[in-house]
Amino acid sequence: MTLGVARMRLWWDAMAGIVRRDAVLFMTYRTQLLSQLLGPLFTVTLFYYISRLVTLHTIHSRDGYFGFVIVGVTIVQILTLSLGIMPVTMRQELVSGTIERFLVSAHGPVNGIVGTMLFPAISAMLTGVVTLVVAAVVFGLPLAGTAALAIPVSLLGMVAFMPFAFFLVSLVMAFKQAASATQFIIAGLAIVGGLYFPIKVLPEWIRWASEVQPFTPATDLLRHLLVDYPLRQSATVDLLKLAGFVVVLLPAGFALLRAAIRYGQRTGTVAEY
Amino acid sequence: MSSTTSAPDETRPPRGEGEPRGWPSSRQPPLLELSGLYHRWKRQPKPVLDDVSLALAPTTVTWIGGRNGVGKTTLLRLAAGILRPQRGSVRIGELTPDSRGGVYQRQIGFLSAGDRGLQARLQVRQQLDYWARLAYVPRERRAELVERTVDHFELQELAERRVDRMSMGQRQRLRIAMAFLHEPRVLLLDEPRNSLDEDGYALLANQIERIRREGAAVLWCSPRGEGRVIACDASYSLQDGRLERTE
Repeated sequence: MTLGVARMRLWWDAMAGIVRRDAVLFMTYRTQLLSQLLGPLFTVTLFYYISRLVTLHTIHSRDGYFGFVIVGVTIVQILTLSLGIMPVTMRQELVSGTIERFLVSAHGPVNGIVGTMLFPAISAMLTGVVTLVVAAVVFGLPLAGTAALAIPVSLLGMVAFMPFAFFLVSLVMAFKQAASATQFIIAGLAIVGGLYFPIKVLPEWIRWASEVQPFTPATDLLRHLLVDYPLRQSATVDLLKLAGFVVVLLPAGFALLRAAIRYGQRTGTVAEY
Repeated sequence: MSSTTSAPDETRPPRGEGEPRGWPSSRQPPLLELSGLYHRWKRQPKPVLDDVSLALAPTTVTWIGGRNGVGKTTLLRLAAGILRPQRGSVRIGELTPDSRGGVYQRQIGFLSAGDRGLQARLQVRQQLDYWARLAYVPRERRAELVERTVDHFELQELAERRVDRMSMGQRQRLRIAMAFLHEPRVLLLDEPRNSLDEDGYALLANQIERIRREGAAVLWCSPRGEGRVIACDASYSLQDGRLERTE
């Protein structure tokens, strides 16, 4: 076996170990799985009845506002369960001292933090699938024939969202708190990303914000693939935008995370909580 | 037991002729070398470590004592690569904490002071397997090393027990076991006797002796006089940011 392959196996085994750790910890809280499955049912029910009250001439979807908003709600859930939970998780790791395991391990803190993002991401994706299945089975949301293509697009979207999680985790590593920043970012993205309403209802002066982050193309693509909502521009353009954000933001996110850890290691604050 | 002071070092000048304080006079090249370490905490007028040098030779046990807050934990964290020195260097041969692929960290076994760093709701065997993966133990050896560690630290009865259902002494035994699991060449122990009963201490002493015979270097820090209890090759006192050899 070559050295590169051997190293890759060690890296992979460590990542799998972190995911397994988080899965075991998740399952030790017995009601957590139940609440994560029941949550989407209540959310979908809520938005189903709200959608019965909403008639918008700006929404051109077979199922009106329900089909439009349910995709947005699913993305917000994924954001909250993956991106939103990371600062809290990292703060817990700092307080319990388990972050130290990453710092003294061959796997290292950056890989360890990326590994810590995996289980919440997988869990969030499954919750998203459950949300859509509930909307389709219980409330008759007609899913498009292209719905299966939403899986690879979601994965690309998750990679494009990761730098935002890196940013929040970097705040935690450097300054120990990021709760308010997390809420600010998720709420802000929900507004400018068109998650609850179409971007065209936003005032002109803020619309530029819809174009400078990856959530808008990801939302547009997923809405198109899942409920056949018309695209604002071609799918190729949206995909290229999404890939472009990955290429630009991901290395920047890694660099920021490394810098935050290095800052903590130099000043000693990495051992503080 | 070999000693860091038993033979003159032919590759280095005698101590006192340009050699930093804390440098061993052993025929063997040092495993871990800390050179000119300086660290000052924010808003503190004086550095906690000021030009501290220390080298640990293979097959040696070194003890560092000193009052609470004198900088022992900071020194160990620098040696483990948790903190980066503001001045000076930390090396194992050509490796530094910044070497790629975690090769430096694979040489280090680290026990932090206190009772933190365990996943409270994992069972003991799960915890050991998790650590073996993070420490890049190859999968062919992982199960063997986990079981061997369970045996060495007599954790058989606790192997399926969750950490948050164990006593402080049992947790400390597990934390120590994790420091040994991946067969490190340098073992850094910060107050390892915390909460340990006599049996736990005997297990620790046996395992230190075992890895010392196998060529490892051990650095033990504590505020009390354990340097007089454990079989040390060298003892130091840390005071006012400086390391002084005591015996």
